[in-house]
Amino acid sequence: MPFKSEKRDSSEALVLEWKMQVKHYVLMLDKQRCVGCQICTVACPKAAITANKQPKIVGQAAKKPRIDIDQAKCNFCGVCDVFCPYGAVKVTVNGSHELSVISKESYPQLTRDITVDTRKCDKECTACEAACPLKLIKISKVGFDGKPVQDVFKLSPTGKRRVQVTVDIAKEYCPTCRACEYKCGPGAVTIKKAYEGKIKIKKQKCPEGCHDCADVCPITGTLTIGSDGKVHLNDQTCSFCGACANVCPEPQALTLERTKVLHSQVHSGAWNKTLERITSPDYAAKEFTAQAAQIRRKIVDKRFIVEEMKKNERTRID
Amino acid sequence: MNAQESTKPQELRVGVFVCHCGLNIAGTVDVHAVSEYAKTLPDVVFVKENRYTCADPGQEEIRKAIQTQNLNRIVVAACSPRMHEATFRRTVAEAGLNSFLYEMANIREFASWCHQNDPAAATERAKDAVRMAVAKVRLMQPLQTIEVPVTNKALVVGGGIAGINAALDLAEQGYKVYMLENSQSIGGHMAALDKTFPTLDCSICIEGPKMVDCARHPNITIFANSELVKCDGYVGNFKVKIRKNPRYVIAEKCTGCGECKDACPIEYPNEWDLNLGTRKAISVPFDQTVPLVYSINKDYCIECFKCIDVCGARDAIDFDQQPEEVEIDVGAIVVSTGFDIYLPYDMPLLGYGKYPNVVTSMEFERLILAAGPTGGKVIRQSDGQKPRRIAFIQCVGSRDKEHYPYCSNYCCMYTLKHVVQLKEKYKENIEVYVFYMDIRSPSKGYEEFYDRARERSVNFIRGRVSRIDEDPATHNLTVHSEDSLLGQPIEIEADMVVLATASIPKKGSEEVARILNLSRDADGFFMEAHPKLKPLDAPTDGIFFAGACAGLKDIPYSVSQGSGAASRAATVISKPKWKIEPIISIVDEEKCKRCGICVSKCPYGAIRQEKGQPATVITASCHGCGTCVAECPSHAITQMHFTDAQILAQIKAALQDKPEEKILAFLCNWCSYAGADLAGTSRCDYPASVRAIRVMCSGRVSREFILEALRLGAGAVLVGACHLPYDCHYINGNYKMKDRTDALKATLTKLGLSPERFRVEYVSAAEGIHYAEVIKEIDGQRRALGKEKIQTENVKLKPFLENMLKHK
Ligand SMILES: Cc1cc2nc3c(=O)[nH]c(=O)nc-3n(C[C@H](O)[C@H](O)[C@H](O)COP(=O)(O)OP(=O)(O)OC[C@H]3O[C@@H](n4cnc5c(N)ncnc54)[C@H](O)[C@@H]3O)c2cc1C
Ligand code: SF4
Ligand code: SF4
Repeated sequence: MPFKSEKRDSSEALVLEWKMQVKHYVLMLDKQRCVGCQICTVACPKAAITANKQPKIVGQAAKKPRIDIDQAKCNFCGVCDVFCPYGAVKVTVNGSHELSVISKESYPQLTRDITVDTRKCDKECTACEAACPLKLIKISKVGFDGKPVQDVFKLSPTGKRRVQVTVDIAKEYCPTCRACEYKCGPGAVTIKKAYEGKIKIKKQKCPEGCHDCADVCPITGTLTIGSDGKVHLNDQTCSFCGACANVCPEPQALTLERTKVLHSQVHSGAWNKTLERITSPDYAAKEFTAQAAQIRRKIVDKRFIVEEMKKNERTRID
Repeated sequence: MNAQESTKPQELRVGVFVCHCGLNIAGTVDVHAVSEYAKTLPDVVFVKENRYTCADPGQEEIRKAIQTQNLNRIVVAACSPRMHEATFRRTVAEAGLNSFLYEMANIREFASWCHQNDPAAATERAKDAVRMAVAKVRLMQPLQTIEVPVTNKALVVGGGIAGINAALDLAEQGYKVYMLENSQSIGGHMAALDKTFPTLDCSICIEGPKMVDCARHPNITIFANSELVKCDGYVGNFKVKIRKNPRYVIAEKCTGCGECKDACPIEYPNEWDLNLGTRKAISVPFDQTVPLVYSINKDYCIECFKCIDVCGARDAIDFDQQPEEVEIDVGAIVVSTGFDIYLPYDMPLLGYGKYPNVVTSMEFERLILAAGPTGGKVIRQSDGQKPRRIAFIQCVGSRDKEHYPYCSNYCCMYTLKHVVQLKEKYKENIEVYVFYMDIRSPSKGYEEFYDRARERSVNFIRGRVSRIDEDPATHNLTVHSEDSLLGQPIEIEADMVVLATASIPKKGSEEVARILNLSRDADGFFMEAHPKLKPLDAPTDGIFFAGACAGLKDIPYSVSQGSGAASRAATVISKPKWKIEPIISIVDEEKCKRCGICVSKCPYGAIRQEKGQPATVITASCHGCGTCVAECPSHAITQMHFTDAQILAQIKAALQDKPEEKILAFLCNWCSYAGADLAGTSRCDYPASVRAIRVMCSGRVSREFILEALRLGAGAVLVGACHLPYDCHYINGNYKMKDRTDALKATLTKLGLSPERFRVEYVSAAEGIHYAEVIKEIDGQRRALGKEKIQTENVKLKPFLENMLKHK
C-alpha cells in the first residue's frame, strides 16, 4: 500500500495519521480535554500547531481557541503529547505510546510529581475525589475480605480500621493544580506543580462584567469574579496553563509568565529551545546555568576518579 | 572564415571531368556532347573525359590537370556525391587544392540510369547538371576543417546500473570520470530490487560491488545528492556546473558508523523504500549506500543535536552547511538518468491507494526482499497476515492509449520473477494468478523462465482487468476481468493484488533536456540521434545515452548500453583534437538585427544571442543544416558551402532554357536525395524534366529559392524532405521547412499559382519508386496545365514575386 498521510477533524477529536505498510503513526487531539492553553503550539519543534481564536458571541460563555495541526509540518515526534498539561494529545506508533523523543532523551518527561499516602487517609473521606475539577480521581475501598465497601461509616471501628483505601489518579491527564491536596484534611496527597509561574491581573484594565478568562479556566475556583466586577485569581490551584491569557480581550489585562517546568533531566538542543519558548529566555537561562553547573560537577567528578585511579595504579606499580 | 581569400581577385580556372563510368553513363548519355558543351561554359578552361574517374588513373588525371593546367575549381560529372564526394575531395587535396573547391554533377543516378529510354533527354539533363555545377563551383570558397581541443574527461549523469557501467569502463580506460547522482546514493532502481530475472541472483549482491568499485576508483569522483545546474560549451569542451546540496554532514569526516542514526529520535517515511517503512532524520537511505555518508533531513529534524553528541570527536555534523556549486570541464557526457514508476492513482477502478492490499510491483519487490521493511515477509497491510491468493495484473498504464501507449519492456519478466519466487518460497500454500495481455519474453533464457513459471502451476489468464472490488470487512479483493481465450468474464478472489505499473520518464527529464539541449520523444524519453545507427548518441555531439532514460531497458541491456556509451564517449575524449566539417553557419554582425529568431530555430541550440548583441554560432555545436539561414529575416546568416549566392546560381543555371518545362527539385542530402539516387540505382524510369539541387537539410530551403525559381518561370517546384516526425537528420529541420512552405504555399495560391506547381514531398532513402512516381505525377500535372497556362500565370505572378524578393 502506498504511504498515506491523513487528517480528520471532528467536534470530538483532531486525528492525524501516517499509514505505511509496516508503520502506523497516529496523533489524536481529544477536544474534550483540550482547554486551549496553547502550550503545544510553543512546544512543537516544527511549529506545526496553530490556535485559532473563536469569535465571542454576546451573552454566551467565551470559547477556547481551536487547535489545528499542519499535516505537512507534523512529524509525529510527540512533543505536544509530552507537554500538554491535560494529556489531551496522544501520539502512538503501531499502537504503542512509547515516544522516542523521550527514550532517546531528546526531550524530558514532564514530571507530574503526585504522591498519595493512603495510610493517612480518613477511611470515610472522599474529599479529593470531589475536589478534582477534572474528575480524574477514583477512590475505592475494600474491606478485610477484599470486597468493595460502599458505606464505610456503617462499619464497626475495627472493620473501619481494616478498610483499605486506594486513590487512583489518572495522572497522565492531571494538570497538577493541587485542588485535591488543599481539600485533603489529613495531608495524604502531596503534589508538585509541573508548571509554575506568575499571573498578573491589572485591575484597571480588566473590563467590568467580562468573565472570559473564568469561562475557559478548567479549574473551578481559580478565577472568580469579585464584588467589584473584576476577576480574582487563586494562584494556589492555578496550573499556569495560560488558557485564560489566550482569551482575555484586553491586551495586558491578564498576563502569564511561566517560571519553571518540572521535568526529568536531559541534554538536548531542541529541549533548550522549547524551554525558552514555554518559559522565557531569562528563566531558561537560569535552568541552563544550573545544567552547566551539573555538567561541570560531573566532569570534576570524573577527573577526580581518574586521578584517584592513576594514584592507585601508581601505588600498585610502586 | 577564409572569407578574406575571396576578396583577392583571382582568375577562375575551372576544370570539368566527365566520367563514362564504363557504359553506365556513356551507354545512355552522349558524354562527348556533354564535354563539348562544358567547354562553352564560363571560366571552364579544361575538360577531360575518363572511363572511370574514381579509379586510380582517373584520379591521377585530375591531380595532373590541377597542376599542369593551374586549375583552381573542379567539377566532376559522374555519379552521386553521396557515393564519391569524399573520394574526389581527397584527390583534389592531394593535388594541393583546397578540397572545398570542387563540386559534383550527378549524371549517373540522376541522368543515365533514370532516363535510359530517352538518351537525348538524359544528355540534356546531364548538360544542365554540369552547367549548374559550374555555376556553383565558380562561387565556392576554400574552407578549412575546424579543430577544437578536447578535455579528456567525462561526466556521467545518473548513477544507476547503466551509469555505473559507463563510469567504470571509462575510468578503466584511464579517463577521469565525474559521476553526478541526485539522490543520496548511486545504484538506481537495481539497488532496490530483490532478485533479478532470469537467474534469480540477489540484485544488491551483484550491483553492490560495482557501486563500491565506483567509489574506490581513483579515476572516479562521485557527486551524490547533487544536481545539474548548467552546461555550456560543446563537444570536447563542456563546462558543467553542479550544485552539491547540503547533507548537514561533512562527507570527508563521516565514517558511516551510524551511531547518530541510533541516537536520533525522529523517523520519516523512507522514499527509497517506497515509503513502506521509515528512516531516521539522520540516516542513509539503505545499508549499502554509496557514498556512505549520512544526511540530515531538515524537514523532519527537530534539532535536538543528539547526533552531534554521539558523533563527538569525529565532528562530522554541520548544521550550517550550505549548497555548494562546483564547475567541471569535460569532453563528453553520458546521460543515464533512468526512469520512474507510475502510481495509478488516476485509475480508481483498480483501487490503488484506496484498498490497503493493492500494491505496485516495485512495492512488492521491497516486501519480498529480506532486507526490506517487513524483513522479507510478504504481508498484507490491512492485517499483517500472509496472503494465500495473490493476483498479478500486467500492463497497468502500459500499452494503454489513455496513459502510456508504449510497452514498459520488462514488466512481464519481473512478474514472472515474482510468481516464481512466491511459488518456490511458499509452494502449494500460495495460489497465484497472472492477468496479462501478452507475455513478452524475447531475450536469452527468458522464454525458459516463462516455462519455469508455467511448470509451477501459476494460473495465467489472458485479459484486461476491468475493476477490483474490496470486501470492506475482510479487505479481500475481487478481480473482475475478461478471459479473452475463453471469451468469458472471470472473477477471481485474492488476498493481495500486485499491479505491474508502467515505467515512465524520470521526473526532471525536462530540466535535464533543457540544460543539455536534448530532445525527448512523444513518450517523454530522450531521443537518440538515430534510432538504429546512433542509438547511444544524443543529437548534440559529445553527449551519449545509456540505460532506461532513452527508452525502457532491462538490466543486461542497460549494462551493455553503459559500456557502449563509454566507448562512444571515448571516441571523443581519446582524441587531442576534435575535427568539425566547415559546412557551418556564420552570422554577419552588421546585418544581424538581434531578433533572436535563429536561436529558437536552430535544432541544436548552437546559436547564442545575448540581449542587444549580434547572434553568434557555436561552431562546434553547429551541424550545418542551414535552417537558421533560411529563417533569418535579415539575411544575416550564411551557410558555408551552401551559400545563398551559390544556390541562386544553381537555380538560375537550371532554369536557363525553357524553364516552364522544368521541375526544379530541392532535395535534402539524407533522405530525399538518397531516395532519388535509389530511383536511379533501381533504374526507375521517370521524366527527365526534373533538375535537382542538393541541400543538406530541407530546413535550408529559403522562401527566396522558391520565389526565385518561380520568378524565373519554373514549371513546378518540389521540396523533398525526410519523413515527419522523426526522420530528419537534423532533428526537426523538416518541420521548420514545413511551417515555412505551408505559409508560402497559401500566399502563392492566393496570388494565382496553380497549387500543383509547388509541392512538398517526403521521401525516405528507401523510397526510390516513390520519388519516381512523384516526378511522374508532377510532370503529368505540368503537361496537363500546358505551357501557355504556365506562362500566363508566370506573367501575372512576376510583379508580385519581384516585389516579394525585393522586400527581403
Ligand atoms: C519492479 C521492477 C523490477 C525489475 N526487475 C528486474 C529484473 O529482475 N531484472 C532486470 O534485468 N531488470 C529489472 N527491472 C528493470 C531495471 O530496474 C532497469 O533495467 C534498470 O534499473 C535500468 O537502469 P538505469 O541505470 O538505466 O536506470 P535507474 O536504475 O533508474 O538509475 C538512474 C539513476 O539516475 C539518477 N538520476 C535520475 N535523474 C537524475 C538527474 N537529473 N541528475 C542526477 N541523477 C539522476 C537516479 O537517481 C538513479 O540513481 C525491474 C524494474 C522494475 C520497476
Ligand atoms: S538533531 Fe535532528 S538529526 Fe540529529 S538526532 Fe536530533 S532529530 Fe535526529
Ligand atoms: S540551424 Fe543548422 S546551420 Fe544553423 S547554426 Fe543550427 S545547426 Fe548550424
